[in-house]
Formats: sequence, structure tokens, C-alpha cells
Amino acid sequence: MRQPGPIIGIIANPASGRDLRRLTANAGLYSSTDKASAIQRLLAAFGATGIAQVLLPTDMTGIAAAVLKASTGPMAREQRWPALQMLDLPLTQTVADTRLAARQMVEQGVAMIAVLGGDGTHKAVAAEAGDTPLLTLSTGTNNAFPELREATSAGLAGGLLASGQIPAAIGLRRNKRLLVRVPQQQLCEWALVEVAVSPQRFVGARALSRSEDLAEVFACFAEPHAIGLSAICGLWCPVSRQAEQGAWVRLDTSATQVLLAPLAPGLLQGCGVTASGPLQPGVAYPLSLRSGTLALDGEREIEFAEQDTPTITLDLHGPLSVDVEAVLAHAARHHLLVVPRDQRHTPATLR
Amino acid sequence: MSTQLSSEQLLHAYEVMRTIRAFEERLHVEFATGEIPGFVHLYAGEEASAAGVMAHLRDSDCIASNHRGHGHCIAKGVDVYGMMAEIYGKKTGVCGGKGGSMHIADLSKGMLGANGIVGAGAPLVAGSALAAKLKGRDDVSVVFFGDGASNEGAVFEAMNMASVMNLACIFVAENNGYAEATASKWSVACDHIADRAAGFGMPGVTIDGYDFFAVHEAAGAAVERARSGQGPSLIEVKLTRYYGHFEGDAQTYRAPDEVKNLRETRDCLLQFRNKTTRAGLLSAAQLDAIDGRVDDLIEDAVRRAKADPKPQPADLLSDVYVSYP
Amino acid sequence: MARKISYQQAINEALAQEMRRDSTVFIIGEDVAGGAGAPGEQDAWGGVLGVTKGLYHQFPGRVLDAPLSEIGYVGAAVGAATQGLRPVCELMFVDFAGCCLDQILNQAAKFRYMFGGKAVTPLVMRTMVGAGLRAAAQHSQMLTSLWTHIPGLKVVCPSSPYDAKGLLIQAIRDNDPVIFCEHKLLYSMQGDVPEELYTVPFGEANYLRDGDDITLVTYGRMVHLAMEAANNLARQGIDCEVLDLRTTSPLDEDSILESVEKTGRLVVIDEANPRCSLATDISALVAQKAFAALKGPIEMVTAPHTPVPFSDALEDLYIPDAAKIEAAVRKVMDASRSAA
Repeated sequence: MRQPGPIIGIIANPASGRDLRRLTANAGLYSSTDKASAIQRLLAAFGATGIAQVLLPTDMTGIAAAVLKASTGPMAREQRWPALQMLDLPLTQTVADTRLAARQMVEQGVAMIAVLGGDGTHKAVAAEAGDTPLLTLSTGTNNAFPELREATSAGLAGGLLASGQIPAAIGLRRNKRLLVRVPQQQLCEWALVEVAVSPQRFVGARALSRSEDLAEVFACFAEPHAIGLSAICGLWCPVSRQAEQGAWVRLDTSATQVLLAPLAPGLLQGCGVTASGPLQPGVAYPLSLRSGTLALDGEREIEFAEQDTPTITLDLHGPLSVDVEAVLAHAARHHLLVVPRDQRHTPATLR
Repeated sequence: MSTQLSSEQLLHAYEVMRTIRAFEERLHVEFATGEIPGFVHLYAGEEASAAGVMAHLRDSDCIASNHRGHGHCIAKGVDVYGMMAEIYGKKTGVCGGKGGSMHIADLSKGMLGANGIVGAGAPLVAGSALAAKLKGRDDVSVVFFGDGASNEGAVFEAMNMASVMNLACIFVAENNGYAEATASKWSVACDHIADRAAGFGMPGVTIDGYDFFAVHEAAGAAVERARSGQGPSLIEVKLTRYYGHFEGDAQTYRAPDEVKNLRETRDCLLQFRNKTTRAGLLSAAQLDAIDGRVDDLIEDAVRRAKADPKPQPADLLSDVYVSYP
Repeated sequence: MARKISYQQAINEALAQEMRRDSTVFIIGEDVAGGAGAPGEQDAWGGVLGVTKGLYHQFPGRVLDAPLSEIGYVGAAVGAATQGLRPVCELMFVDFAGCCLDQILNQAAKFRYMFGGKAVTPLVMRTMVGAGLRAAAQHSQMLTSLWTHIPGLKVVCPSSPYDAKGLLIQAIRDNDPVIFCEHKLLYSMQGDVPEELYTVPFGEANYLRDGDDITLVTYGRMVHLAMEAANNLARQGIDCEVLDLRTTSPLDEDSILESVEKTGRLVVIDEANPRCSLATDISALVAQKAFAALKGPIEMVTAPHTPVPFSDALEDLYIPDAAKIEAAVRKVMDASRSAA
């Protein structure tokens, strides 16, 4: 039975955190139990901010099952969790599941999609979300796009924004993206953080974590505190999320001086940066390699050879995301979470 | 560690996979004639796993396998004709006709045997890795087991011991989605076999087993880890078997056209050919030449195996022991 | 030079001397040292009854404690054996056979044959057998017939400190998988044991007593009860020949048949349960191959077809004793005298 009011979709990638970086770096675990727990914290926050309905896809690793079970318990009732509607979609256990779930959520008119995953997951959701804003939570290996933030506070921000209590101009941020075009393969893909060009000829196990496997990095934004390939730009020529340009660096394994950068959790590599510069929006940049692979947000996806002419273009009009800090700062300034004592377990209403 | 392969290495990888494919496809045909005794369990479809892992191993590294072991044997360098003769139960077989398809072994090549007991190979490679450790060598040991065997206590015990004793072991779970007629989606509680690794104190990764390069990279990282004394790891390779659990299994538990679709869209040999030719690293002519050579090899092996003599009555009683008494 | 040491010490000495002589020998098992990862003494136990005590410090890195994983460490011992090492693994109680059976039954025992004569698996699995310690049903079995039944295994059951040392050294040097069965109640038995390395061959029964009237065939601890019975019977004018099999696989068939050809009468004593036991095995052998020599029926003295009971009142009834052996002998003598 559909409740009136905004619906929020939640997508937690069951597959994130099981790739090659477990072997090559000290990437940790983010188990299905942890993901289910994060979702429950989101639901508590949504409950407190008046969200009455949530869409959640099913999965094979027990995340949705654990959340469903918890939703019948006393804490869910006390915290007024939103009603859970399961999206029962055919599961292929690939990224196609993420994309299908996002597409369905947009079709059902969700006000926002909360995403639990790494850069790859966020990229997949963003590809389908259009202008539906994302509430980003990091749980994957490379987390440059989603901020490292606790689910409860993210949920409060998301709930306040989705229930209309925050002006969009304050609560939403327009993100940059990189468009990767390979006309000879009829490919046009996005990256939300960076595109790395690798001399590795094949997609292989996807993850890249060695400096000798990198020739060039193009970044939408590059924060000095980031983990992942954008950290090379972040520690050499940082660019903020807000700046209307990006950055690029070129690497050479024979450089005598190297930049120590955390390319994966626990993995600091010496990267020989030989050139760098700004990435101007709307300009199609060619690559410095004639053949190799392109890694979008940390995972090799595209193999290109002599006959291909891939280009990278910065687009300032990428996906929308919730600016959690701005939302909560606004909520604090305006005491949005102050309610009468006897209504403290009732969702906060619009002032 | 670079994972760039030279043309020789690429050609060798293709030849290994193609040999396995041709061997298994031929067995599928020959088995139907009724001339091959007992059971065979075909590896067709899974070639990238064997080839991707074995590319990193030397003769002194050990592997143990299971009932679906022809691919592992071929990739480890066991003689193809000797294997075919063994499957036909002939005296010229690599085990003198006394082992058969499920017990092909060649200890000189570090192949501790195909095994009729799934999961039994895991403690055995913990043992060969222990031996290497006691001898002060950096040889590694790899066990191949399936999604069904991943639920056997032998695998759990070996994984725990390998971590506790810091052994140079690699556990390769070839998850083809089916343990006989039971889907791994049902029988593996945590759904991803790789997730069990953390419970046994080692890293676990899930890899696309249709892509030789994905397996090769992950195996390379695991082998390097093991050789440098950092201990065991688990690689879950997701792939498919084209044929039934055994020859004669009608596979009614699978969706119709499931195998056909996979052969057409994800086949590991097709992917390898497409990637390497598109990248300009190998030519179609080179790959076709290998195809021809492999076809001749298999044809020769079958012809000779069919013609070879069976073991003699005296062979029944020999080699129960090394020494009598 | 021989001196008196215990059965347990003889086993310890065999291990120490052979490990000193051959660097490929190593020990693995549960608490074969004891104290792994614990803050107190290392080599805290040296085996649950102390049989391997002291070896941990003498042979650093070659006495390995394993987690409680029989499939794991017995299987690892099998795998290591294929790689040119000589593992001596310990199955703490033979009753735990079920936990590791596949690695012995289907792997170690069969490699030589299945791989066409190209595998060598020189594994020794030492294990404690037998009843009498009130250890109850899951810690008191013999299970000799389980191992003896399996082609590819050799099964050794020493009855004395001398045999224990010599047979264990032979087992370690043997290139086949050997199950070495140590009777718990014999550990404290004293006997003359040479200081130097020596071997006792497999497949050769030991004539402990020559006699003309009746053949007693047995192994393990029952050897001593058979001898006690023989001594008692001698005072009654019955002259027993006592054969200690020492190894049930290979079995010294020739000695058994030769003795029965001489005496014409047979009693087999076996501490294990009677169905499909060594007792029935030997009885069938003799009935098949020496029937003409038999003057009377064969008698078997075994445990009953029951698990081993706990209460001493019952366990003492379970285990064959000298009185039961004497009764069996008298029965055969009576039956054969009347037939003669």
C-alpha cells in the first residue's frame, strides 16, 4: 500500500569489497552484516525526519533479508522506520543489478537514492539517476566520490532534504563528471572521480593499484585526503569538488623523484609525475598512450588499441548529490530537529 | 609486478586452453560411443581458470585437483597422450590404466592427482606446502576445488591450518554454480565463497573465470604473496561448465539454453581471441595454427589410446605396496 | 647393549634416534608438544600421555602441533609424504579414525596403486588403541580390522618395548603408509631394549613359546594374557605354542599355518570386536589352508559385539582375560581329544 510523501530508494552493492585489492593491498572487509547495519541506521534517521517509504532491492548476500527482519522488531516500531517495499528484480549478481534497481527507483519517482558502495557503485547508480539526487555513503574499496560518513547523520540530512525541509540550493550539490568516448567501439561512459590510462593491455582483474600500471590520470576533482588514483592529483595539484575545472597528471616510471600516494587502502606507491595541468570543461582531451586500458573510478573497463582514439571530456553538469554538511548546518541554524517532548518519537514535521 | 604477457606467453596460454577444450570436447563425443569405461567429468568451459593459474607455476610447485581434473592436468604439463590412454584404461596410460580419469597424476610435474573425493586435495596441498616450508623452498601449492567441495570440512580444516602454519597454499574455488545437481546459490550460505576467507585469516577475492587475464592477474598476486612467505589466500573463480556433472547427466537442473548462451557470449577462448587480436598482440593466423596443431595432437592421442593394449592380469596385483612385506 | 626401559620410552627413543639419523622425518599431531601459543611451558605435554615429550626441544621445527583438524593434519602428512619427507603423524586415539579416514583410506593407501606404481607415500600414523583405562566407548577401541582390511596399508601392533622400538624404526624407514598401534596399557611395561638403532621386520611373527598341543595366535596386549594362560595351562599338562603376530598387515601366514600343521589346534585371541576381526580372518585362513591338520574346531577369544563399557565392572568383562583363554584352550583340547 503506497504511503503519501517522498520515497527514498536505498541501493547497497552486495558485491563491493571483494576484488583484487584484498590480495594486493590491505583493503578491508565491509561485510553484508555491516551493510545491513548501515541501512538500519539510515532507516532510523529517515524515521525521525518523516520519510514514510523506502524502496530496497533484494540481494543474494542477506543484506535485504537482515533489514527486513529488523524492520519487524521493536526498535523499528519505536523509531518509526519507513515502510519497506522490496524491489524484487531478477538478479544477475553483476553491476547490471545496480543499474536496474536505480532505473526502477527513478521510474517509481523516488526523491533520492541512498547509495552504499564505492566509486564504482556510485558511478553505476549515477548513470541511471538523471537528476534524482544521490545520498552517498562509502563502503567499497576506493571511496573518493562518496564521503566517509556515518549512516545516521547522512540519513538525517537525506531525510530532511527529501521531506522538503531544506532548500535545494543549500542541500544539493551538482557534481562534475568525466565523459569517456571511444567512437570506434561505440562507447560513451562516465566516471565520477577519475579516469586512469594504463599500459596494461587487458581489463583483467580490473583493479589498478601499482604506479607502473599508470600512464595518465584525469580527475574531476582531487582531494588531498582521498584514497585511490585521484590521490595522485590530490597530492600534486589538488582541485576541489566546487572548482569549475579538473586536473590531469602524466606519469613516468623512470622519473627520479616520486610522489608517495595512497592508491589503495594501506598501499602507498611512488608515482613519478612528469607533467600536470588543469582540465577545462567541454574540451575533449586525447590520451598519451596509443594502446592500453582505461580505468573508470579505479576499475579497468575499456581496452583500446592503435585503431581507437579515446577522448576524455570534463562535464560540469554531472549527477546531483546531497551536501550532508550543508544540510545539517542549516538544520542546526534553524533548529529543524527541535520537536515537542511528547512528540519526540514522531517524525519531525515541516515548519 | 607486471601482468603484461609476452607473445610467447599469450600463445602458450591459448594453446593450453585450446588443448583442454579439444580434449574435453573429443571425450564428450567418444564417451557416447560406450568405449570409455567408468565416469568422466568434463572441464570444458573452465579452461581460463586452469590456464590462468598454472601460468605462474613451475614443475616444483604442486597442485591437487578433483574429479573434474583433466584441465588441471593438461595445464600442469601432464602428457596428453598418456592421459587419454589412462582414460581408456590402457596399460600405456599415465597411471598404467589403474587409476582412470579421476586419478590421473604425475608427481614429477607436481600434479598430486585428480581425486575422486572432492575437497581431499586441500589437506594434501597443505602438506606439500608444509614440505616446502620444512625444506626451506619457496614452492607454492594450489588446490582446485568446486563450489560443492567448498562446503567440505576438509577444505575448512586445510584453510585454517594453512593460515595457522603460514603455508604457501592457494585455495582456488572454481564456482561453476552447480554441485552435481544442486545450485551453489542454495548450498553456499554466504553466497560468495571468497567471503569465507576472512573467517580463516586469509584474503579472498572473487574473479571472473571467463576472462583468462582476470584469473592470471589474481593468481599472480596470490602466488607472489605465497612465495614471499605471506601465507595462503583464496581465489573464487566464477565460471561455468558446459557439460553435466558427469557424462550422461542431462543437466535438466539448468535453464534451457543456459549453456548455449554462455558459449556464445562469454566463452573464455572466444574472449581471449577477441581481446588479443583486437589489441594487435596476436594474429588470427597464429591462433588458427595452434587450433590445427591441437586438433592433430588430440586425434593422435585418441587413435593411439584406442589401439593400445590393456593392462595384463599380473598388473592387478602389482604396486599395492612399495615393498613386500 | 640392552637395558630396561618402558614401552613408551622405547617409542620416544625410536623417534629421537631416527629423527637424528634422517632429517626428512618430522612429527605432527595434536599436542605432540603442547603449549603452542600458550604463555606457559612449551612442550607442555609431549603427547597426551607424554610419549613424545622432549622431542620438541631436541628437534626444533620438526615437532609440529596441529589444530584439532584430523582431516587437515593427517592429510597434510599424506601430502608431505609425497614430497620426499617422512612424516610421523599421530592420531591421538584410534577412535578418532572417523575424523580423518578418507585421507588414509582413499588417499595414502591408494596412491601407489592408482598412480600406476609411481607414488611413494612413506607415512607413519602412530595411534593409541585398546581398552582398560575406563576411558569408555569412544576412547578404547582397537579397530585393527579396519586398517588391516585396506589394501595399501601396513598395520603394526607391538607387544613389548623391544618390538615397539624396532618396529617403529622399521615403520619410519618403510616406504608404504603404516598404521602403528600403541596399546595404552602397555606404555608403562618395562623390557630390555638395545640402545642402538635396530629394526624388527614386518610380516614375521614372533614365537614367544614353543609347544606341541595347541597354537595360540594373537597380537598387542593380548600377547601377555596369552602367555599368562599358557603358563597356567602348562601346569595342567597342556603345552601351548604362542605366536605374536607383531604386524597384522602384512600377515605372517606361513608361521601360523606351520604352527597349526604341528599342533593341529588353534585359538585366536583378539581384543577387538568379533565381527570381521583379525580373529575371524585368521580362523578362515587356517580353515581354508590347514583344514586337514586340524584335530578340532577353532576357538576365538574376543571382546563381545558391544561398544566398550565405562564401568570397571563391565569393562573387565569386556576385555579378554587369561581365564577366558584357558577356557577356550580346554574346550578345544576336550573337543579334539574326543574326536581323536
